[in-house]
Amino acid sequence: MLDYWFRARYLLALTLCALITALTLPLRGRLDLANIVMLFLLVVFIAAVKLGRGPAVLAAFLSVALFDLFFVPPHLSFTVVDAQYLVTFAVMLAVGLITSHLASHIADQSEAILAKERETSMLYELARDLGAALTLAQVVDIVGRFLRAIEMDSAVLINEGSEGREALTIHGTLPIGDRARGLALTAYRQNTTVNDADSVFLPLAGATRARGVLAVARTRGALQPVVEAVASLSGIAIERIHYAQIAQQSELEVQSEKLRSSILSSLSHDLRTPLTSLVGLADTLTDTLSDRHTGASDNAAETAAMLRDQSLAMHRMVTNLLEMARLQSGRVRLNKQWQPIDDIVGSSVRLLDDILAARQLDIALPPDLPLVCFDAVLMERVLCNLLENAAKYSTPGTPIGLLARVCALNLEVLVCNEGAGFPADRLDQVFDPFVRGFQEQTIAGTGIGLAVCRAIVSAHGGTIAAESTPGKAWVRLTLPLGTPPEMDGDLS
Amino acid sequence: MSDVPIRVVVVEDNPQIRRFVSDAIRKSGCMASETATARAGLETVAAGDAHLVILDLGLPDMSGIDFIRELRLWSSLPILILSARTAEHDKIEALDAGADDYLTKPFGVGELLARVRVLLRRRSPPDEPVTIYHFGEVEVDIARYTVRRAGEDIHLTQIEHRLLAVMLANAGKVLTHRHLMEEVWGPGHAEQEHYVRIYIRRLRQKLERDPTQPRHFLTETGIGYRFQPRVK
Repeated sequence: MLDYWFRARYLLALTLCALITALTLPLRGRLDLANIVMLFLLVVFIAAVKLGRGPAVLAAFLSVALFDLFFVPPHLSFTVVDAQYLVTFAVMLAVGLITSHLASHIADQSEAILAKERETSMLYELARDLGAALTLAQVVDIVGRFLRAIEMDSAVLINEGSEGREALTIHGTLPIGDRARGLALTAYRQNTTVNDADSVFLPLAGATRARGVLAVARTRGALQPVVEAVASLSGIAIERIHYAQIAQQSELEVQSEKLRSSILSSLSHDLRTPLTSLVGLADTLTDTLSDRHTGASDNAAETAAMLRDQSLAMHRMVTNLLEMARLQSGRVRLNKQWQPIDDIVGSSVRLLDDILAARQLDIALPPDLPLVCFDAVLMERVLCNLLENAAKYSTPGTPIGLLARVCALNLEVLVCNEGAGFPADRLDQVFDPFVRGFQEQTIAGTGIGLAVCRAIVSAHGGTIAAESTPGKAWVRLTLPLGTPPEMDGDLS
Repeated sequence: MSDVPIRVVVVEDNPQIRRFVSDAIRKSGCMASETATARAGLETVAAGDAHLVILDLGLPDMSGIDFIRELRLWSSLPILILSARTAEHDKIEALDAGADDYLTKPFGVGELLARVRVLLRRRSPPDEPVTIYHFGEVEVDIARYTVRRAGEDIHLTQIEHRLLAVMLANAGKVLTHRHLMEEVWGPGHAEQEHYVRIYIRRLRQKLERDPTQPRHFLTETGIGYRFQPRVK
């Protein structure tokens, strides 16, 4: 096809020259030779514009020859009598050649502009298609089709693994061997173009990092800028899809988090409401019985008081269970404030008034303990659990100790009691959920108190450990001290 | 107390809790009006002659916070909140909206009546402003800037004195960190709540018999502080 057009152009140039000779021959003698030269030059010019450089050059030479043969006396002979015609020939040839050169140059340029425009509109379409792509598979498909349309074999390698992992999956028509895969990985890691003898690897660069690699077979010499454009367009598209997926994922997580916390809060409400009734009704019963002053009321009042205590114990267990569920859901926001630990020591003791009333409490808090940053409600829960355990698992009547001190870069709090202590071989396990120091069925408990303590202390970046010596046991917890905020002079 | 019977409006949707709260109120010599919804509660209060509102924060027809805001538009009746929620945030929001005190479920009848008594006492302020207070072994004369503990003079700094004055004037009532910050240091120090905590510790160390187990300057964990004049 191309060959045919190539030959046809020369034939056309030939025909044009023959035609002009045939047309002007009858006018020989009537027209000045200078004007006939002009007509020949016109033919050369037309050939240059329409047929290209080669046919134009042919036309230039042919015109000179035909002009000499048919118009310059003696006719039908290449002999030139008048020497001045040699000048005419030379000028004619020169003008013809220059014209053909200029005309074909312009034609080349416009051809190039047209090609550029086609390329631009193709890229525009590609960009539009990539912009509408919703999945990686679509991106790969669009890029593959585009490059096939411009007769290039290609393969797209995308890192579909999570952040940090490099698992390039290959899509496309270009076969990728082990060596090619290695080169692609280099291009991906260094975010630069890697050239090979028969293929080129371009990174699909997003705004932050490479998202994959485009491998293109080197079918034509130089790498077309269009391929680079394809690489950068698909890089952007892949990155956009990546962030869209992240946004969708986090939206889902927010939804499920909302659901979880609303379930927990309604569960909490539903469990606490009957317990509140129980405590209140037991109190009412106690009051009623004491009003009656009947002989049998002592026993009944005792029962009512036990009812109340058991309901409160039940409430503490429910609170711990719910707290554990909340902490295990993994997204507890700590309401951390700088505060002295004294605040929650006092309030924990007050909350456990019923349990600790009969015990001697040895509390040692240096008056100048530094402020620590913690969530007061949660740390109060930790102290309550530890003090409650200290009371439950110790010999009745023995003192319970709580002391705090600065130890290196931590605040250390110890809660001690006297009694059987922790089993020496399971000191760590007592902090696991549903594990109890001794399988004592006589002491009510779920084995969740210490697990909650550990979850809360860990969330604060602290540590908690159980230790014991014969007859004594204590839990040691630490909280990092950090740098408390300054006190401004004028405010204090 | 006057001869007019004291009426307490109990707004609580759970019938058992409503019953024992109302029983306790009646037993203490007051009258109790029971309502199960916020709407009915507001109407009862609007009908007049109520002296105190006991409000459950988790009502079915209206959020407790909205109830308080609406009531506060036209009434300054003391409000005691009952909250089954653990989130301290809700209580702070309710207190800031105008509630006077709160009780966390589960609570005992004794606790409930103690809070009710404090709120009712605040209802009728004495004719002359009180400047002299006694608690534990401490005697405070706010006007003269003197504080004595077991007969011995105690020196308080200006800020300590101001904090003490605010706490004493609001005896029995829970005061949020933010509220204390504004009363003592003035507005614009929301980020410096640790000041309050440090100064409460100083007051405890100077005025409490055992600062590690305070009996008067009580911590309301996650919310603020309460001054308790008398020990149970």
